[in-house]
Amino acid sequence: MSVDSFRAFLDVLENNDAVTRITDDVSWDLEASAVTMQANETDGRVPIFESVRTRESAVDARLVGDPYRGPQQRPWEWFGRAFGFPIDSGPVYYEGVIERLRDPIEPRTVPANEAPCKDVVRTGADASLLEFPWPYIHRGDGGRYATLATLVAPDPNSEWGSWSRHRAMIHDSSQASLLLLAGEQVPNRYYFEYEPADKPMPVALTIGAGPAIESTAEMWIPVGRSEVSFAGGLRTSPAELVECETNDLRVPASAEVVIEGRVLPNERLDEGPFGDYFGYMNGPRRSMPVLEVDAITHRSEPYVPFCVEGTGVGYGENSTSTFATAAGGPDATLGLRIAGFDVELAAPWPYTSRTVWVIATDRSYPGVLHELANFIFTTWGMLHIDFFVFVDSDVNPLSPRAVIEAIALHADPATDFHQFGVERMPKVPLNIYQTPDEKGSVDVGTSRTKTSKAYIDACSDDSRPPQSIGDRDARRRARELLTQAGVPEQAFEPPHTIESGR
Amino acid sequence: MTAFRSHLEFLRKTDDLRSLERPETPSPQVIAGEGLRADCSAVRFSTDDSRIELVNGAYGGVDQSSRGDRYPWSRLGLGLGIDRDPDYVDVLERIARLGDRIETRDVTYVERAATATDRTVRELGFPTPPDETWPRVTLGLISVGANDGSYWAPIHGTVIDDNTVRARVPEAITDRFDRGDVVSVALGVPSEALAAAYFLTITDRLSTPIEDRDVGSTVPVIPTGGGVVPSSAEIVFEAEISDPQPDTRAEKREFWERLVDATTLTLDVNSVFVRDDAVVPFTPLDVPLTDDLQLVGLALAATLYDRANSYWGVAPVEWLLLPAAGRLGLCVVSTEMLYAGFEWQLSNFLFSFSDCYDTVVVVDDEASPRDLGQVFADVWVKAHPSRDWLFSEADAPVARLPTYGRGETGARLYVNATWDPRWDEEYIAPRVSLTESYPPNLRAAIRGSWAEFGFDTDPDSP
Repeated sequence: MSVDSFRAFLDVLENNDAVTRITDDVSWDLEASAVTMQANETDGRVPIFESVRTRESAVDARLVGDPYRGPQQRPWEWFGRAFGFPIDSGPVYYEGVIERLRDPIEPRTVPANEAPCKDVVRTGADASLLEFPWPYIHRGDGGRYATLATLVAPDPNSEWGSWSRHRAMIHDSSQASLLLLAGEQVPNRYYFEYEPADKPMPVALTIGAGPAIESTAEMWIPVGRSEVSFAGGLRTSPAELVECETNDLRVPASAEVVIEGRVLPNERLDEGPFGDYFGYMNGPRRSMPVLEVDAITHRSEPYVPFCVEGTGVGYGENSTSTFATAAGGPDATLGLRIAGFDVELAAPWPYTSRTVWVIATDRSYPGVLHELANFIFTTWGMLHIDFFVFVDSDVNPLSPRAVIEAIALHADPATDFHQFGVERMPKVPLNIYQTPDEKGSVDVGTSRTKTSKAYIDACSDDSRPPQSIGDRDARRRARELLTQAGVPEQAFEPPHTIESGR
Repeated sequence: MTAFRSHLEFLRKTDDLRSLERPETPSPQVIAGEGLRADCSAVRFSTDDSRIELVNGAYGGVDQSSRGDRYPWSRLGLGLGIDRDPDYVDVLERIARLGDRIETRDVTYVERAATATDRTVRELGFPTPPDETWPRVTLGLISVGANDGSYWAPIHGTVIDDNTVRARVPEAITDRFDRGDVVSVALGVPSEALAAAYFLTITDRLSTPIEDRDVGSTVPVIPTGGGVVPSSAEIVFEAEISDPQPDTRAEKREFWERLVDATTLTLDVNSVFVRDDAVVPFTPLDVPLTDDLQLVGLALAATLYDRANSYWGVAPVEWLLLPAAGRLGLCVVSTEMLYAGFEWQLSNFLFSFSDCYDTVVVVDDEASPRDLGQVFADVWVKAHPSRDWLFSEADAPVARLPTYGRGETGARLYVNATWDPRWDEEYIAPRVSLTESYPPNLRAAIRGSWAEFGFDTDPDSP
C-alpha cells in the first residue's frame, strides 16, 4: 500500500529509523536550518523539530527539515519504500515509476468534515501567516521562506487545476512574494493571462501535500492533464481533495497547511536574495508577484516541512535534489520516450541536479542528439537546464563515475561540444554566472540578459575501456566474498551500465 | 621510510584494509576489480599454504565520485609516512621531492630482509587473471646496476614458466643493460621507492642513478646481483636478461605505458629471495581505479603542480588533480587568479606540459581537493555556458588518453569556473555552507548537541 499523506511518509521514515524527533526548543531563526544542513551533509536522520521557539506563533506547529532527502548513495530509497518500488537498483526504480505514470488515476473530492486539513479554519483577518514558524534558512536571505510548497492554480484545460512547486517569501501576516518564473506553466498563466486582464489569480499554497503530489508537482505534465492525476497513478489510488474555503480550487485533504489567496495583478514585492539550489546565494533582490492571503486552514499541530536549498549540490542531497533524481528523472525519461526518442534513461547530474542532465540514448539517426537537446531546451529544460550530456544507451546516467569517464574519454572538444546559439536563450535570474546587472529585474521573472545552452556528445565510438574482469558468475562470487569481508552490499551501486543494474 | 608490511599495518589500524582468505576461484584479480568498483578498502588475500599473500588497492583505491573519508592519495600518503589523513598537496610535494637531485650521496645500507628460497617464481603463486594463461606480476621495481649507481623503474609481466618472466619496462632504462646482464626485481617495496620509480619514469628522468636523488637517501637499500634494491622488499628476484622479445598487441599494459614508450624483456630468474610471510601488492589492469593508474595520476599531478608553481615567480596553484574516474583524461586545477586572463595562460601552460588530457577545468583557490563534488558542480554553475567554455582550433597535438576517434591534431578545451577578477566584489555570490550560512556560535552549539539531538553521524565527517 502506497502512502497517501505526508504523515504516512514520516511513518515510513520512522519505521526505517531515518528520523529523529528533537524535543529541545529550537529556533526558526537559522537554528533549525543549520541542524538540517548538518544532517544533509552527513547523510544523517531527518530532523523533526517538535518545539519551535517563536514569539508570535499561535499554532503549535512543528518543523521538518528536508523530509524528502534520500540517502546519498541511493536518493530514491524513501520514495521507493513509500510507493512500493524496488530500491536496490536505480534503473529498476525508474522503470517502476514510469509504469505507474503511464496509468494516471483521477482524484476524488471528499467533504470538508473528512479532510484533516480543515481541522482549523481561519479566514479574512483571522488568517495570519505569522502564526507559523517559517524558517529563516541562510544568513543573508531576504526573509523567511516556505520552500516546500505546492501551488495549486486554475487550469482551463483541467478540472483539477495545475500543481507546481513555488517558494514564498513571507512579508507580513497577509502577504508573501511568490517566485514565479516565466516559461513555467503557472507563471505563464499569471503573467500572460491574468495580469494583462488585471485579474487576480486564485491560488492555494499547500504545505505537506505528501510525496505523491509533491513529486508530480516537480514533473512536466502535458497540457490537459493534471499533476494530481499522476499523483494518483504513483500511489495507485485517487488523491483525496477538498474544496477551498474562498475559491473554487481543490487541495489535498491531508495537507498539513493550506494557504488560500490571490496573486495580485500589477503588484510586486521583494523576493530574495536566497541561498539557492545552485549552492550559492543569488541576488540581487527581485520584484515578484504578491500572494494576498484570504484563508488559512491546517491540521492540528501541523508539520511544516522545509528544504534547505543549496545543500543538494556537490555530494549533498536535499529534498530538491532528491525530487529531481527520484521524480524528475523517471518523468523526463517517460516524456522523451512518448515524444518518440529512443531514450534508455534520463537523470539529473547528481552534483547540480537542475543545471545538467545526462541522457543514455542510441544515436539512432544522424542529428538525433541535436533534436533531443532542441526538444528539451524548448520545453521542460528551457529555464533551468544549461547542459545535456549524452552517453551510450547502456551507460548508467545514475553512475557519476561512468559519466565522468564518458566525458573525459569520449567527448572530443573539436566535434562533440555543441552550443545552441550564442546567448539567445532565456535564463532564470537565480544563476550566479551572470552579473546582477545582466540579470536585472524584468517583469516576467527571467534574466534581462540571455544565455546559451549546450550539449555534449559523450557517446563512445565503440572504444570503451573495460569496467571489470571475469565473467558474470565470477564477479558475483567476488562481490559475495567482499561482502562477507565487510564491504556493504550497496557499495557496489550504482553499476556502470544500466543492464547490470537490472 | 615505511616498509611495505608496515604500510599495510597502518592501513589496518586506520580501518582501510580488509582481509579475506584467498579462494581458488574466482581469481584475486576479479575480486580486486570488484573491490575497486565498490570504492572499498584495500584487500589482503591471506593463504595457509606456501603461496605469498597479496594486497590490492594499497596505493589508491577510491575515487571521489561520492562523499567519503578516504581519498585517492590517502593510502599512498600513509605509505609515504606523511600522516594518517594526509593533505593532498603534502603528498604531491613529497612525491616531487623524492625525485630531487641531491648534492651528496647519503645512502643507508641495511641487511636484506628477504632470504634465499628454493621456490621458483611460479611456485610463489602470483594471481592469474581470468582468460589468461600465466600468472601476472604487477607493481614491481626493476633495479639495474651500473658503475655510477643503480637505476630504478617500474616493471610488470607474466610468469611464463618456473623461472622465466616476460616483462615490460620503460624503453629508457634499456640503455643501461645488455643481453646477459643481471638485473634485480623487487616486489613489496616501500611507497617511496615505487612512487619515485613512477615519477622518474613519466618525467623521463631515468638517466640519473637513484643514489643521486632524494629517494636514494630515503630508502635503505642493499646491493644485489642487479642494482641496489630496498632492503625491506618482500620479494627479490635476480635475473639475467635473455633474448629480446617482440612486443605483441595483446600484451597488457600498466598505465605508465600510456605516457612513455615501453619494451618487452625476457628475464631468466637465477635467484629468488622471499621474506617470511611475504606479502606483495598487485593490481588488475585496465579496469577503473587501479593502483597503477592512481600512481601515475599522482605522479603526473605532482609534476604539473611543481612546474606550475615554479614558473611565474609566485606559486598561484593551490592544487592540481587528475580525477581517477576520468582515467586522467581531464585535469582540474585550483588557482589564485593573478590577473584577468591568467586562467587562459595557466590552462595552456598545462596543455604544454602534458599531452595526456584535452580538457582543463580551472576552479577558484578556495575549492578543496577533498570536495570534488563541489568542483563537479562549479564546472556547470559558475562557468557561463558561452563565455567560459573555451575551445582552441582543432590544430593542437591530439591528447593521448581520450579514446575518441582521432587524427593527428585535435582541439583543447578549458573551462573557467572561477570568479572573474574584473567583477565588483558585490557580484561574487557567497556559497551556501555551514561556515558561510551560519554564525560560529550557532554551529558550535549544534555540534555540541548533535548526539543529544538523536543523530548518529559524525558532524565532523567531510
